[in-house]
Amino acid sequence: MVIVHTVCSLLSYVAFLVAFVSGVLFLVQERQLKRKTLGLLFHRLPSLGMLDRLNFTAIGIGFGLLSLGVAFGFIEVGTLLGRWWTGDPKEYLSMLLWGSYLVLWLMRLRSTLRGRRVALLSVLGFSLVLFTFVGASRILLSTHPYF
Amino acid sequence: MHILLVGLNHRSAPVELRERLAFAREQLPQLLAKLREEVGLDEAAILSTCNRVEIYGGVRELDGTIDRLHRFLSEYGRVEREHLSSRLYSYTEPQSVQHLFAVASGLDSMVLGESEILHQVKHAYEWAKDSGATGKVFNVLFQRALNTAKAVRAQTAIGLGGTSVGGVAVELAEKIFGQLSSATVLLVGAGKVGEQTVRRLSDRGVKALRILNRSPERAVSLAEAYHALPILFDQLDEQLLEADIVISSTSAASWLLDRAAVSMAMHGRRQRPLCLVDLGVPRNIDPDVGSLENVYLFNVDDLQGLVDHYHQERRQALQQSQAIVNRKVERFLSWWQTEAVTCVPSCSGPAAAP
Repeated sequence: MVIVHTVCSLLSYVAFLVAFVSGVLFLVQERQLKRKTLGLLFHRLPSLGMLDRLNFTAIGIGFGLLSLGVAFGFIEVGTLLGRWWTGDPKEYLSMLLWGSYLVLWLMRLRSTLRGRRVALLSVLGFSLVLFTFVGASRILLSTHPYF
Repeated sequence: MHILLVGLNHRSAPVELRERLAFAREQLPQLLAKLREEVGLDEAAILSTCNRVEIYGGVRELDGTIDRLHRFLSEYGRVEREHLSSRLYSYTEPQSVQHLFAVASGLDSMVLGESEILHQVKHAYEWAKDSGATGKVFNVLFQRALNTAKAVRAQTAIGLGGTSVGGVAVELAEKIFGQLSSATVLLVGAGKVGEQTVRRLSDRGVKALRILNRSPERAVSLAEAYHALPILFDQLDEQLLEADIVISSTSAASWLLDRAAVSMAMHGRRQRPLCLVDLGVPRNIDPDVGSLENVYLFNVDDLQGLVDHYHQERRQALQQSQAIVNRKVERFLSWWQTEAVTCVPSCSGPAAAP
């Protein structure tokens, strides 16, 4: 149970990292196209369409994995302590992260937002990933084991 | 054995002369045979494009061969020799080898670094080989030339970027959408550059082409030429919802598309990206449209600016490209020298080819 929780959570972070990288590349290339200044990387970057698809897919997969990771986390805590919510900062952050990527994924799915803004949000979203992953135990004194 | 070259190109001769000497593919086997029997070449290949006609020959002794090649060309093109000879360049190795490698790499082309010449050299070699006109030396020579061209293209910026307004527009569209085969293109107006751009897009696999023009007859005739759908002018707004790439080249005095119209279309498109190419002078599309989200607007000056930028980059890559060519030429010459020492004289002629 713990292993499933850990593996799913870590893999979801990898997927969000992919979304982050494709988001950054999208923003770089979008800016070059808008400004008509084609920089060094221009010929080597994939098209905006492809980066956008990669970003969207990575967010979707990341969200699915995170859902599983969070669910297994709660089940684990529930069987250990008899209550699934302990009020740990990591729990609040994980739910915030889960909600944020759900909203981002839905906005892209329904085309409420597209292109640059989705890329930008997926880049910003990754800072929340990092904070949940590392920051929670260091700054907010979470009692979550390891990270 | 010597490797020699006699030919003319866009710099040495006007088009009237080049077209008289152009070789058709069907004639090649017969002419290559003639080059070996009458001119006395052991190995031969003919490179004939719209910018150059060149005969490459391998021969044991020079002994008036260049003179015979001049006569061969003047008879073939029915041009007086005095008139022709001043336009022809003749090289022996190492310049002839150097020239072939540079030509294959696009360094001698009218548009520096163009890639079409690579295919033309490849065909020239294959056709000569199929006619049995090449032997051991030319097989290696041409393979090395093609290999050099590929190395130059891979290692330098000589072939990067479009070299015409249409080419750059296509490149930008590909940067936005990736593969263009599923893109829908709308051409508004029937200007010449617009038509050229549409042709390039259709070469890149665009299947859904729509043409909208004030005069329906012109739209229909253009549409037939490109298997496109002619569209009535008052349907522009609806078309804007479906098209991925819009190319406009009308001579209208007022905006064809303004911010409000495109903004509304983007809403209807659910923010699907839209590439607008404004080839009109005066401009057809309000430049303010370019600041809308997911809209990519390029006008003639933007495209021309990129064309100039690429030409400059290609010129800058020339020196690096030449260095690669020189290195490859040296490598070929040293192979050839060891070959000349180790096998005499049976493998210098085509008879030695397997």
